Amino acid sequence: MRKGLILVMVLLMAFSMSAQLFAGGQQEAADDEITMLFMPGVADPFYYVMEKGIVAKGEELGVNIIVAEFPKAWGPEVQVPILEATVAQGGIDMILIAPTAIDALISPLKKLYDQGIEIITVDTYLGDGDYSKDSDYSFPLSYIGSDNEKGGREMAAHLCEMIGGEGKVYINSTNPDVSSVMGRVKGFKEGIEAFPEVELVGVDYNMDVQQKATDQTLAALQKDPDIAGIFGTNLYSSQGAYQAVVNAGLVGAVKIATWDASVDIINALKKGQIDLVLAQKPFEIGSLAVEWGYKFFTEGTEIPAKVIPGFEFFDSENVNDPDMEQFIYK
Amino acid sequence: MQSLMTQKNKDLLLRIGKQWAVIFFVAELIFFGLTAKGFFTVNTFQIVLFFGTAIMLMAVGELFVIITGGIDLSVGYVMGLSSIVSTKLIVAFAGSGLPELGAILLGILITLVLGLIPGMINGLLISRLNVPPFIATFSMLGISHGVSELLITEGAAKNLPHMANVIGNGHFLYFAQESGFSFFVRPEVARGVKVFELLPNVVVMTFILVAIFAFVLKRTVFGVHTYAIGGNEDSAVRSGINVKNHIMKIYMLSSFLAASAGVIYMLKYVTGKADAGASLLLDSIAAVVIGGASLSGGSGTVWKAILGAVIIAVLETGLRILGIPTFDKYIMVGVILIFAVLIDQVFPETTYKDKE
Repeated sequence: MRKGLILVMVLLMAFSMSAQLFAGGQQEAADDEITMLFMPGVADPFYYVMEKGIVAKGEELGVNIIVAEFPKAWGPEVQVPILEATVAQGGIDMILIAPTAIDALISPLKKLYDQGIEIITVDTYLGDGDYSKDSDYSFPLSYIGSDNEKGGREMAAHLCEMIGGEGKVYINSTNPDVSSVMGRVKGFKEGIEAFPEVELVGVDYNMDVQQKATDQTLAALQKDPDIAGIFGTNLYSSQGAYQAVVNAGLVGAVKIATWDASVDIINALKKGQIDLVLAQKPFEIGSLAVEWGYKFFTEGTEIPAKVIPGFEFFDSENVNDPDMEQFIYK
Repeated sequence: MQSLMTQKNKDLLLRIGKQWAVIFFVAELIFFGLTAKGFFTVNTFQIVLFFGTAIMLMAVGELFVIITGGIDLSVGYVMGLSSIVSTKLIVAFAGSGLPELGAILLGILITLVLGLIPGMINGLLISRLNVPPFIATFSMLGISHGVSELLITEGAAKNLPHMANVIGNGHFLYFAQESGFSFFVRPEVARGVKVFELLPNVVVMTFILVAIFAFVLKRTVFGVHTYAIGGNEDSAVRSGINVKNHIMKIYMLSSFLAASAGVIYMLKYVTGKADAGASLLLDSIAAVVIGGASLSGGSGTVWKAILGAVIIAVLETGLRILGIPTFDKYIMVGVILIFAVLIDQVFPETTYKDKE
């Protein structure tokens, strides 16, 4: 029985070796079409909209787009196996990826880069996101995504004005290991420095668990019942924070600001649960990534190491404005 | 005459029943080979093994426990805890001025020793205080999870030295046309030049551990005693085996292997995460049962448990190449697990013959 097994294994290995050589030959033959792989960070509306932008631009320019499975949770141990299995199909010229960790994705992506595949990171990045200086993570062509620190600063300015330029503010964020949300927090902290009467009373990390966000916000409100503004760095954080504000009986007294204009968040804004929403432009990020990649392959254009689209802000006054409709993630 | 016939039929059925995992494995390979583009490559097989390391290690630990008639539900979170502990230790050692490699080796060593503790507590509760294994290890699951979360409240487990990444994602052997074979270090070649990367380091480490424990189970007195306890605990006691001590060692062995899975996670993803192995409990138990071990104890071999683990890993990778959402994998593993237990009941005799 064991001999049989070993024989089967050896046969399979031999078969696979020859299959690989064969596949190698095929790949070169059909190489005149550009193929890009989109590897999203997690299954959520932000990346669904980005996918739409990528697919639309791909159709326009005649670029073949492969979309990998949307990871069901945020993390390298979910994303990397999907990435490797999808790339194993072969024939991919460029990967547009939202890395789910600033360090864990360096080696897997470097390996693919060394095989000759070009990398653009979208929405999140490797290391500190600066690919222009030499480092072990400087191999991607470009980071295309929001400047989270700038967004954080703009968010701080909007929220501080909303609370009248004075009072206590609190941040509920997701995960200190994710470059994008850390940038938002950092920018927000810098932003409130322009308002000497505003004091930051705390930052909590809910690890993407809404219930935890509620508990943490309740605890913060217990400690400082006069908190005037809360910045929740994503949907879970802001929804959790809103629930805490309801439980504490402080609806209306506390202004909640959040990031990302998903349909759920916009509905919450319409219901008055949230007061301020920053919208990134995922459609534009996706479409820019394909466009720059296409120019890189066809015209040899050098892509800027950072491509940063701007933001839009939603509040109760402009949320029903038809011009703003396009910035909702749906 | 008739009874002779039925006996023959029964033998044939028995044989098929015993080997269904092998048949399933081959069928799986043929299916993905035909449907999934790029499946039959050395690269894909290495991906399967690379991402299967954690399941394999935990399945071997779980196998020892299951042979004695117990179960260890804590392995997934012990793995997470160990990924965090090893990360924090290595970062601390590297920060105190130790060279990178020294910090990594020392950190791993201490983590593996600490990794014996959850198993020791499980073993004490089960063997001395008669707590059912299900309850003892289930509590340990919660405790490990809690301790993990406590450890990262002060800051995430990350910022490992670069060397960890190099080890965890490196290969044992490289081959490039111009420079020939080289060990551990990827040859410097122009970008796009094909370099064959063979035997990922973490797969080599995993197989060394697996081989050691396969030897222990098959060729040592420890292994014989393990089967004896699972076969019939009373007669094991009467034949002079110190059953209580043995059970304790078994649970320590299981948590040691879960801790090594955590160390390997740390090397692969250069981070520690509380829920690193949370979804792998089902997989590791399923691997053991698919490998033909009976949940009532007394049977099973290491290499068959590894076959079970590989079956699950192939399923996962194959589905990913096909672009089928991995939720389906959980459903399939669940169904296969139930199927395996049913087969075990239909062919109860196998449990006593199948010790090779």
